[in-house]
Amino acid sequence: MEWTRQIGRYIIVMVLQVLLFNRLQMGGLCHPYIYVMCLLMMPITLSHSADMLIGALVGLAMDVCCNSLGIHMAGCILLMFIRPYLIGVVVNDKDRLNEQISLRSIGFEALVKYVVILVILHHLTVFLLGAWSLSHIHFVLMETAVSSLITILLIIGYNAILYK
Amino acid sequence: MQSLLKILLRYSNFLVFIALEVAAFLLISLNNAAPRSSLLSTANEVVAWQHEVVSTVNSYFSLRHQNDLLAAENADLRNQICAMDSAENGYALHYVDAKVVQMTTDELHNYITINRGSKDGVMRGQGVRNSEGVVGIVRTVGRNYSVVLPVINTRMNLSCRFAKNDYIGTLQWDGKDSRFASLADVAAHMVVNTGDTIVTSGLSPVFPEGVPVGIVESSQLKEGDSYYTIRVRLHTNFKRLKYVEVVQNAHQTEMEELTNGMD
Repeated sequence: MEWTRQIGRYIIVMVLQVLLFNRLQMGGLCHPYIYVMCLLMMPITLSHSADMLIGALVGLAMDVCCNSLGIHMAGCILLMFIRPYLIGVVVNDKDRLNEQISLRSIGFEALVKYVVILVILHHLTVFLLGAWSLSHIHFVLMETAVSSLITILLIIGYNAILYK
Repeated sequence: MQSLLKILLRYSNFLVFIALEVAAFLLISLNNAAPRSSLLSTANEVVAWQHEVVSTVNSYFSLRHQNDLLAAENADLRNQICAMDSAENGYALHYVDAKVVQMTTDELHNYITINRGSKDGVMRGQGVRNSEGVVGIVRTVGRNYSVVLPVINTRMNLSCRFAKNDYIGTLQWDGKDSRFASLADVAAHMVVNTGDTIVTSGLSPVFPEGVPVGIVESSQLKEGDSYYTIRVRLHTNFKRLKYVEVVQNAHQTEMEELTNGMD
């Protein structure tokens, strides 16, 4: 049941990502990657290695959709690697980690810290690898700041509406 | 032996992490260096089909503009027929029309996916243009779809020349604005005026000579520089790109084989 919901969310979010968010062309700085929401909200019930493998597959699927072979994959693997450690640090009440990670299960403060850190980390990795050099570094940092902000707001907004 | 196994087990998550990241970086470097696989890009049937469905719906919203462009193109084609009747140009060219099913315009590495592939005779390295001017070069070919590297990609170098005196330069893109590109390698002794027309050079078999590229928006010669900094306003409006033509040169393979044989 839990995993049907996770996969259902993944399909809907990927369709939105590829057909809507990837097509937003707002001034070059705004590329929100909301598909990371699926990875962020996955419950911590599988092993760490299995989590990273899922991250790799989700990233690869995204890469196929944006002609960026390997870039999203690298970002998602890193995200899934850091995730359990970060959960250990930011979440106080660890009773409900076997259900999906949402506003309801870990609370507002922990959710904000968790989402902000992981989204910025993922976006920075993706944009840095995409540029493949440091000569556009100021552009990459601006791009990370703007895009992360949009992604973070969307993920927290989604939680606030559905998992109050 | 046992303690080695223990250590491996203890760090197994970290080892999995490293192995997966190495795989990802291998893919990135493959993608940066060599032709990409058509399965793992938007030339992939499933992904391209999705984009095609959406762009079919989208295309109804820009019909009026597209009609204007098509009318202009028809007129242009008629002019070309007249020109061809009077003078044989020596090229064996064939144009294949294609529709853009997916594209980006504001990333550093923009790509365009078109709905023509190997079954329509599209091959890697063929030029792509539309009625306004140059668009790019075919990079990856699938059976029904292809990915094009447009001039608005920082990896693109296109040989161009001034229409007025045939002076050669290289068109590059700085990754910022899809309306402008820059022209490099123009030496200081040239006289460059705002409004000069830039066309393709015809030095490679990719494009015939004289396909419109853009006009000089501004040119700058800094103290002590031996080359101009030239900003070119591109004729092609990438934000509204819908229909393109793939340029197939019957002599392309032969010309490339000859050039490669020289190395």
